[in-house]
Amino acid sequence: MTAFLIQNMAPIMFGALVIFLLLGYPVAFALAANGIFFGLIGIQLGLLQPSLFQALPDRLWGVMSNDTLLAVPFFTFMGLILERSGMAEDLLDTIGQLFGPLRGGLAFAVIFVGALLAATTGVVAASVISMGLISLPIMLRYGYDRRFASGVIAASGTLAQIIPPSLVLIIMADQLGRSVGDMYAGAFIPGICLAGLYAVFALGVAIFKPAWSPALPLEARRLREPDGSSGTWSFVVIAVLATVAAILFDRFYYVATYPEAMLDERLVLAAGAGAGFALACAIVNRAFKLGFLSRLAEQVVFVLIPPLGLIFLVLGTIFLGWATPTEGGAMGATGALLMAIARRRLSFKLTRQAMETTAKLSTFVVFILIGARVFSLTFYGVNGHVWVEHLLLNLPGGQLGFLIVVNILVFVLAFFLDFFELSFIVVPLLGPVAEKLGIDLIWFGVLLGVNMQTSFMHPPFGFALFYLRSVAPANDYIDKITGLRMAPVTTWQIYWGAIPFVLIQLVMVGLLIAFPQMSLVYKSGAPEIDPSKVKIDIPADQPSNLPDDILKDLQKGTPQDGKDKAAPERGQSADDKAAEEIEKALKGAK
Amino acid sequence: MGGFGHVALLLRISALIDALNERVGKTVYWLVLVAVLVSAGNAIIRKVFNMSSNAFLEAQWYLFSAVFLLCAGFTLLRNEHVRIDVITGRLSPKAQAWIDVFGTVFFLLPMATVFLYLSWPVFVRTYVHHEISTNAGGLWIWPARMLVPIGFTLLTLQGISELLKRIAFLAGKGPDPITRHDARAAELELAEEIRKIAEAKG
Repeated sequence: MTAFLIQNMAPIMFGALVIFLLLGYPVAFALAANGIFFGLIGIQLGLLQPSLFQALPDRLWGVMSNDTLLAVPFFTFMGLILERSGMAEDLLDTIGQLFGPLRGGLAFAVIFVGALLAATTGVVAASVISMGLISLPIMLRYGYDRRFASGVIAASGTLAQIIPPSLVLIIMADQLGRSVGDMYAGAFIPGICLAGLYAVFALGVAIFKPAWSPALPLEARRLREPDGSSGTWSFVVIAVLATVAAILFDRFYYVATYPEAMLDERLVLAAGAGAGFALACAIVNRAFKLGFLSRLAEQVVFVLIPPLGLIFLVLGTIFLGWATPTEGGAMGATGALLMAIARRRLSFKLTRQAMETTAKLSTFVVFILIGARVFSLTFYGVNGHVWVEHLLLNLPGGQLGFLIVVNILVFVLAFFLDFFELSFIVVPLLGPVAEKLGIDLIWFGVLLGVNMQTSFMHPPFGFALFYLRSVAPANDYIDKITGLRMAPVTTWQIYWGAIPFVLIQLVMVGLLIAFPQMSLVYKSGAPEIDPSKVKIDIPADQPSNLPDDILKDLQKGTPQDGKDKAAPERGQSADDKAAEEIEKALKGAK
Repeated sequence: MGGFGHVALLLRISALIDALNERVGKTVYWLVLVAVLVSAGNAIIRKVFNMSSNAFLEAQWYLFSAVFLLCAGFTLLRNEHVRIDVITGRLSPKAQAWIDVFGTVFFLLPMATVFLYLSWPVFVRTYVHHEISTNAGGLWIWPARMLVPIGFTLLTLQGISELLKRIAFLAGKGPDPITRHDARAAELELAEEIRKIAEAKG
C-alpha cells in the first residue's frame, strides 16, 4: 500500500484534486487544502522534507510582489467604469447608422464595435451586455434572424478575451514567464483575423441568406442629410484624408526627425496624427457650421475619438515604451474615470460599486493563484511535473500531436473551468512541456487564449451566453418604434446561434497551429537574443523551464532535487542571488 | 429551550464577524482607486519629469496586496470565491450546507491556519530587524508582511462565521445562508441600469 502510494503519488494527488474541486467548495481553498493534505502525507512517507511548507511565505510574497497581477484590478476597474460611461452605447448607435444601410450592416457594426471595445478593455461582460441591450432590439425590429443576431453579439463580445489588452493574455504571459508586451504583439494578428472571420461569416449570411440580416429601412436611418442622402461618402472622404494625413506625418515629419524610430512607435504616432486630423476637421465643421462634412461623418468621428484615446492610453503607451502593461491598465482606468466624469455618468454610488466588484474579483483571482501555488509546491515535490511531462512528451506526432491533444483537452476543460482556473492550474503544467518540444511560448499562449474563448461561448454554461440571456427579451414585448408585438428570443435560439461562432473559433485555433507566423511577428520588433543562450548560466541540474519562483524554491533545496539541505534559510542566500541574476538576465533578454 | 439560546448566541457571534468583515471590505476597496491613481501618476511623472521612484512602484503592490488579503474574508462573506458547482449546485440547500461545513473544516481552516502559523514569524522578523526592501529608495517590508497574518485572521474569522450559519441552518434554527449571488449578480444589476439609461434616451 505504502509502496503503491509512493510510486503513484502524483496521479493520486491529481485525481484527488478533481474530486476536491467538483465538491463545489471554493476552488482556491480546495486547491490549497489538496496541496497541504498531500504534502503532509508526503512528509509522513518520507517523500518530502518536513520543511516543505517553510517555502509558503515566500511563495505568497512572490504573488504579492508580482507587478503583472496588478493589471487584474486595473483592467477590471477600467472595464466597470467604461460600462457605466455610456461610450459603448454611443458607438453602437452611430456605427449602426454607418453600416446599417448595407445588408448585414448591423452585424458588421456589432463585430466592429466588439473589436474596438475589445481593444480598449479586457472584460467580456461589458460588451455583451451593451450590445445585447442596444443592438439586439434594433436587429430584431428590422427582421434579423434571432439565432444569427444573438450569435454575432455573444461572439463579438468575447473578442475582448483575445484582442489586447486582455486579462487572459496578461495572465497567460505571467504563467508562461513571458513578457506581456510580447504576448500582446503576438495576439494582435490572430485577434484581428478572428474578428475578420466573424465578418466573413456575416458576409456569407448576407449573401446566401439575405432574409437573415436585412438592411435598415430608410426611416430607421436617422443621420441622413437634409436632402435625404446618406452622407456615407463624406465619411469615406474624411477617412481617406485622415489616412493620408497619417502617412504624410510619418514620412515627412516623424521619420525625417527621428530616423531610427521603431515601426510600432511610428504606427502609434501616425494613427494619433490621423485621428487628430479627423477630429480637428469635425470640430471646425461643427463650430462654424461649414457643412463640408455630413452629419453622419461628423458623428462617427466624434464617437470614435474616446475609444481611440483609450486605446492610445492603454496600448499606445506600452508600444511607445512610456508605460508598462500594468501602468497602461492604470492609465486606461484613469482615462475611463475622466471620461465618465466628463459625461456626467459617474456617481459616487457607481464608483463604489465598481471598486467593490473589482476588489472581490481580484481577491478571488489572486486566491486561486495562491491555492495553485500551494498545490504546485507539493505536486512538484512529488515529481508531478515529471509525470505530466512524461504523459505529454510520449504523445505521438511530436509538436503537432501535443498541440492537438492539448487544445482538445483545454476545449473540453473549458466546459467546466473558467479561464482563471485553467491558467493557474493547467497552463503551468503545459508550459514547460511545450518549451521542451521547441514550441514558442508566446504562440502557445495565444493559441490557448483563442481556445479558451470558446469557454465563453459553450452552451449551456458559457458566460457570454448567460449575459446575453439576461438582457435579451425573454417574453413577448411591444416594440417601441413600430408598436408591433415581438416574439421573445428563446434560450435555444441563443445556443444555436453560438454554435457557428464556436466552430469559427476552432477554425482559428487550426489556422494558428498551421500558421504560427501570425503570432511570431512579435519577434520582429525586438533585438534578436536567443533565450537558450541566456539560460546556459543556470546550473545544469536545475530544470530551467520552471516558473521563476519554483526555480527559486528548487534552488533553496526542496527535497526532490536530491540535495539534502536543512530548512531553507530565508533571506539572501548565495543561491537566491544567483537565481535573481538569472531572472534579471532573462528579463533583459525579452 | 436551552439549545435555542446557544444557537442564538452563535448567530450573534457570526453577525459580529460579518459586520467586521463588511466594514473592513468597504473601507479597503477604496485602495483600488488609490492604487490606480498611484500607478498612473507614477507612469506620467516618470515620462514627463523623467523621475522614477521605487517607493511608488512598491506602494502599488503594497496597496493591491492590502486589497486582496484584507478583502479575503469580505469576499467569502459575499460568497464570491469561485466554485465549480456544475454538479453540486443542483443539490438541496441542506446538502450544500453540509458541503460548506465539510469544506470549511477540512479545506479553508487548515489552509488559513498553515498560513497564519508560517507568516507570523516572518512578520516578526522583518519588524524586529527593520528590514527594508533591497531596491534603492524602497519601503519598509514589515507593513506588507503584516498584511498576511491580518488577512488570514479575517479569513479564518469569516470561515468560522460561515460555519456557524451553516450549523444553525442544519439545526433548523437559522435561515438558508447560501445566497448564490456570484460575480454575475453585479453585472445583472448594471444591465438594469444601462437598460434604464437606454429607455430614458430612446
